[in-house]
Amino acid sequence: MTRISPHLGPMLVVALITLALYWPLMYLANIPAAQRALDTGAALPCKTAFECATQLRSPVLPSPQQLWNGFRNLMFPLNSQSAIPLNALVTALETIVGLLLAALVGFFFAIGMVASRAFERSLLPWIVASQTVPIIAIAPMLVVVLGQYGVQGWLPKAIIAAYIAFFPIAIGVAKGLKSPDPLSLDLMKTYNASNWQTYLKLRFPASIPYLFTAFKVAMTAALIGAIVAEISTISFQGIGKMLAENSRASDVVAMWVIMLSSAVLGILLVALVNWLERLLTPWQRVRTAATPLPKQARVSERGGAG
Amino acid sequence: MVAQPTKSAWNQALLGWVLLVVGFGILFWFIASWWNQTEPASGPQKLLIGAGFLLAALGIAWVANQFVNTPNPVIGFTPAALTLLVVVVTAEALLRAYQVPPGLIPTPSRVLSTFFAVRDVLLQDAFQTVVLEALVGYLIGCGLGVFTALLVSRYVFLERGLLPYATVFSSIPIVALAPVLVKMVGIDWQSKAVIVAITVFFPVVVNTFRGLSEVSPLSLDLMRSYAAGEVQQYRWLRLPNALPFIFNALKLGTTLAMIGAIVGEFFGANGQGLGFRIQIEAGRFGFDIVWSAIIVASLIGIAWYNLVAWLERRLTGWHVSFR
Amino acid sequence: MMQSNTPNTHLPSSSLEVRPIVSVRQVSMIFQTGTVALKNANLEIAQGEFISLIGPSGCGKTTLLRLLADLIKPTSGTIQIGGKNPEEARKSRAYGYVFQAPTLMEWRTVLSNVMLPLEVMNFPASERKARAEKMLTLVGLEKFARHYPWQLSGGMQQRVSIARALAFDPQLLFMDEPFGALDEITRENLNLELLRLWRETGKTIIFVTHSIPEAVFLSTRIVVMTPRPGKIETVIPVDLPQPRTFETRELPEFFQIATEVREALRRGHGYEVTE
Ligand SMILES: Nc1ncnc2c1ncn2[C@@H]1O[C@H](COP(=O)(O)OP(=O)(O)O)[C@@H](O)[C@H]1O
Ligand SMILES: [Mg+2]
Repeated sequence: MTRISPHLGPMLVVALITLALYWPLMYLANIPAAQRALDTGAALPCKTAFECATQLRSPVLPSPQQLWNGFRNLMFPLNSQSAIPLNALVTALETIVGLLLAALVGFFFAIGMVASRAFERSLLPWIVASQTVPIIAIAPMLVVVLGQYGVQGWLPKAIIAAYIAFFPIAIGVAKGLKSPDPLSLDLMKTYNASNWQTYLKLRFPASIPYLFTAFKVAMTAALIGAIVAEISTISFQGIGKMLAENSRASDVVAMWVIMLSSAVLGILLVALVNWLERLLTPWQRVRTAATPLPKQARVSERGGAG
Repeated sequence: MVAQPTKSAWNQALLGWVLLVVGFGILFWFIASWWNQTEPASGPQKLLIGAGFLLAALGIAWVANQFVNTPNPVIGFTPAALTLLVVVVTAEALLRAYQVPPGLIPTPSRVLSTFFAVRDVLLQDAFQTVVLEALVGYLIGCGLGVFTALLVSRYVFLERGLLPYATVFSSIPIVALAPVLVKMVGIDWQSKAVIVAITVFFPVVVNTFRGLSEVSPLSLDLMRSYAAGEVQQYRWLRLPNALPFIFNALKLGTTLAMIGAIVGEFFGANGQGLGFRIQIEAGRFGFDIVWSAIIVASLIGIAWYNLVAWLERRLTGWHVSFR
Repeated sequence: MMQSNTPNTHLPSSSLEVRPIVSVRQVSMIFQTGTVALKNANLEIAQGEFISLIGPSGCGKTTLLRLLADLIKPTSGTIQIGGKNPEEARKSRAYGYVFQAPTLMEWRTVLSNVMLPLEVMNFPASERKARAEKMLTLVGLEKFARHYPWQLSGGMQQRVSIARALAFDPQLLFMDEPFGALDEITRENLNLELLRLWRETGKTIIFVTHSIPEAVFLSTRIVVMTPRPGKIETVIPVDLPQPRTFETRELPEFFQIATEVREALRRGHGYEVTE
């Protein structure tokens, strides 16, 4: 995909329109608040409501200038305990460890479900039901309980991330393990392949694309889990900790900056999965462009007969 | 291949039921004998609980084989119901055997009795969280989502300019969005409804758009051969084609809505709501109430999901996935 | 190395009594749905023959092949493959099976798809690649060893699956409508190639088709089957000269035999004809 995407132009236009609309919206939202602040006689470095709209402590919508300053304050120095980069890294690691943990357990459950219909009948209804349940609600409690048993630091956050990511992964892998068509299974049988060989050569490789699809869903869920876990306990690091701190301090601009940063973090983590997917499943057809047959192929198709 | 019920299979099932009864017997006997104890159980007694659990689990595994091919969904549910029962009863026995303080992990029986004691409060919480926040937000988000998808599928410019953002936005963690929105809109239910609307909006747009645009070129040619106008094309081809996709998003949306409302309340509520209850009770170790709130949220979540799934079956029964 | 490069130059009809490699006696297959897919089938096949099974859809061709391959068990009757029962034959890897679809593994390159049976059967690592490459040469795809299946056309994919079936050098080859999904031109080319393979390797081939010209062109004998219940109507020998070429299709004998097959199919009400 070397040529410029046709999406780029329209995307830029939409972004510009959004930005152009943001200014008037921001004034519209902030002027009443600014007027109220002026009326109460708060010490503000501005005279009119219009001027004050961009300088409020708790703006409804922060001005671009405020956001920019917020970013500068929260991004640097890169290795500071109270800056975003280090905390985002911690949260990202918790999420990734959680995801791997979930994949490990998810694989075992999936194999159980594929190998034994009885196992599936006994557990699948609960696994499906649990997807319709706000699992996140368990997070605050789980952190406290794990903490009581000495599981502290980043590990309980990873465990909660894993707990939340587990279900989509187990379901996805089970789907993948079941995906080989009956003829492929017959083929393995004609080779007199053992059960283990059928898993190794057929079912596992067939499940990898499904695993990645599940990872993309699970990644966002795991990130939410990690952040909620950080919020619900005494944490010393992580995006969740920053959110909790600034929420308590009512620093609206900082909360906006953290929100935008964690959006970027979420996007980066999903991009990481996409990148790994492309790296590890080179056989996957590129769906965006209709791939023509290699030139040689078409020629020798005709000349094949001897 | 359908397994023929052979004699040995029947014997196995019978043995399974026996194991199940013995396993449950051991577990219940222990719970009864330890009901008023304050001491932790002895090593052998703990081993006995383990044995009871293993026997019951093995029993389920053998009994479940009998239900593998049952067409009746209610009877087919038996193994799953037994599994839940075993897990709950074993948890009760273990918690009693180790005398885990109820402030840390409450026993299932305690959760049940608390559930009945505080059900009025929980129902009020549920009304706030589900009806005001989740449902209102869900309806707004889904409505706007379908409308946006219609526009996006009609105008190529919007597809190119907006759709990539929708995909990107759906990977934003709502927890980070929630505090900002609560600050912006206020701590009453409206802020949570906005959070819910935003979280369900993006998947609905992306899925509906796929359904509207992934129609077979041959069907489009057919519509063209009928000289069908734009509106007719949507009415008779694109919308029916999109229905299964829309319902997928609507089902996913029920879960997202519950999560959005509950997480939103973690960042500020007006003293009511399931998320608020969970947050505040977890903070003061009232885990029996936390569990009760989770049960309420789960039951509502499952019911809501199944309601949408039922609607889906009514409206898209023709689709391959139901054959 | 290939152990059996005895060319199929001629087929003495006496070899039938000498050593049948496949023998089917009074075999019936009734599925649990109650479908009688095969009723009292009898068939003996000699080493080196090219047998076609022909008949309309649902007459039990696939069922017969799956019975021979031990993918299903017969309701009654006995089957012997090279003197063993089908299960023993499968376990000693006596046959290669080519399915109607190529069933290539999309995550493997063409070469490693051909190596799959060799891996499963624990061939020494050094031998696998050499064998697979040789098989790809045999089907004329050596230039595509590093491609993935989706980069190949349907006909090429089917050739890969034939190479895969030959890779471990089984004596027997079962082919279930391998060219059914291909266009007529590709199919005729592949027919010629298949005959060349058969001559060069001396395999015994059992080939399912529902094309009368294809059956006549390829086979040494044609087994005509009819549906409801599936049974073997008759077996028609094909005495066309070997090796067969494009010109074979023009011979008057070719049309004679084709007519004979067509009439046998009608006798069994295989095709609903109103006269
Ligand atoms: N696994 C099965 N269960 C039930 N019926 C089957 C099964 N496989 C094949 N049949 C039936 O047996 C008959 C013969 O099928 P088949 O051998 O596939 O025919 P064909 O000659 O087209 O290959 C058909 O009527 C088919 O419906
Ligand atoms: Mg068939």
